[in-house]
Amino acid sequence: MKNKIEISDLQVHYRDTSALNKVSFDVHENEILGIIGPAQSGKTTLLKVINRTLEFVPEASMDGTVKLDGVDISTMGDIYGLRRRIGMVLPLPVGLPLSIYDNVAFAPRAAGLRSKSQLDELVERCLQQAALWDEVKDRLSTLGTKLSGGQQQRLTIARALSHQPEVLCLDEFSIAIDPVTTMRIEEVLKTLQKEMTILLVTNLVQQAKRLATRTAFFLNGDLIEIDSTDVIFSDTPAQQATYDYINGTFG
Amino acid sequence: MNVMTTCALRKQKLVSQIITFIFIGIVGAPISGVLQKTYAADTEAASAATPLNTLSPLLDDLYTVLSISFVAILFGIACAFYLQEWLPQTNWVRRFIESVVAILGGVPSIFYGILAIGIFFTDAGTLKTVGIVRGPQDIGDGSALGPLSFQYDTPVFYIVVLTFILMVTPMTIKTTQAALRSVATPIREATYALGASHWQVLRRQVIPIALTRILATGCRAMSSALATVALIFGIYIWQYTNGPREMSNRFILFLSGALFLSIFSSVLIKLCASASADPTHPTR
Repeated sequence: MKNKIEISDLQVHYRDTSALNKVSFDVHENEILGIIGPAQSGKTTLLKVINRTLEFVPEASMDGTVKLDGVDISTMGDIYGLRRRIGMVLPLPVGLPLSIYDNVAFAPRAAGLRSKSQLDELVERCLQQAALWDEVKDRLSTLGTKLSGGQQQRLTIARALSHQPEVLCLDEFSIAIDPVTTMRIEEVLKTLQKEMTILLVTNLVQQAKRLATRTAFFLNGDLIEIDSTDVIFSDTPAQQATYDYINGTFG
Repeated sequence: MNVMTTCALRKQKLVSQIITFIFIGIVGAPISGVLQKTYAADTEAASAATPLNTLSPLLDDLYTVLSISFVAILFGIACAFYLQEWLPQTNWVRRFIESVVAILGGVPSIFYGILAIGIFFTDAGTLKTVGIVRGPQDIGDGSALGPLSFQYDTPVFYIVVLTFILMVTPMTIKTTQAALRSVATPIREATYALGASHWQVLRRQVIPIALTRILATGCRAMSSALATVALIFGIYIWQYTNGPREMSNRFILFLSGALFLSIFSSVLIKLCASASADPTHPTR
């Protein structure tokens, strides 16, 4: 299977604190990679490295290479182009202070799409994929920030899909969404898997079990284990720590 | 589609009104001044007693003060943007300017007034030579006082400009930086993650959110500039004249201008506090 992202010897420090220690693994094309682990294990940092928003953290320093489709991302000149290839959903919903329509149309417009009919079509499709269309189709011009927390989170998902990314990073997306809507979005993710590679950072181990093709377990900045989800969630994963975490012995 | 009465639209409307207001002021003041001067020159009979002739130097002064402080405010806003958005926090230039601004911005504006008065009034000889005061013996009737309009291309004029810049710029830099900082980091991060460039983030997110507050900053700075000038005129009247009508008119005009602008800026701040409650803190 083709590798979409190749990470080798990735090290990240925040001043003296180490966030990721010599992490190496590959992400296959069109898979859902579940990333689990307790707090402070470097999951969010990993996503920030991939879309190069770690550069906004002044005290962070990075070593190692991350390749997207075989190209080292740190050598890419068009950083905005790179970010458009990667969709990002952050844990807390951030509705931009724009109308719902403009929220979703922001990234395509920033990329240069101007045609009204194409934008309309894109906005409708993304909102439908994020299971939000039925609730907002009559009030697309109201502020995105007026929506409820769960709706805003689905709006962020629609926004992340709006620039048709190759890789979709979801950072604990279901934290503000009710279980029923979460299930609907999970169904959507399964269909999206055919078009894109999905990195699913989650605190809900059962969510990783439901969705992920493979699962990686991080602890204190170390990659403890990465294997197919069936193996990780079996009674005999390679590492005892993985078994303990999944079964609630700690974390 | 819902009615388009969103916060953003209301804000846009307000901003366009303010810009029009300022524009009319800048264009209108000199035009009216020129018209009135021509009128006065044409009709010899129109002496210092006509209200129009009184109004002309008055507006000249107002125009000078407003334009100087306007330029100083624009300069301050540009500085603040550069410091906040482009220079990293650890840069020594930024640290230096911020500490200078903190010191200058903490000085009450009355001290700048005193500084300006010191320059204006300590050396009556200098004032005479540059033509601001013709000498105490002339001050009997209002007409002999002459327009106190700042004379261009004189040292005093440049000192006044410098005083304004010293007073207005640090205040503007400080408050504009605060306004830019008030734009929540998650909003910036989310916009960057969508592949927007720095400029797009500024233009589409940061500036619309911070604009009301920046405008309020400008109004407040301009208000304190006007108040300082009013103070200078007040002391001028008290010191040198028995209260000719023109001078007290100026004092009242500048003081009321300052009052109006400070009230206006408070309204703007109030407005942006109620408006920004939504965008910066998403409801959860």
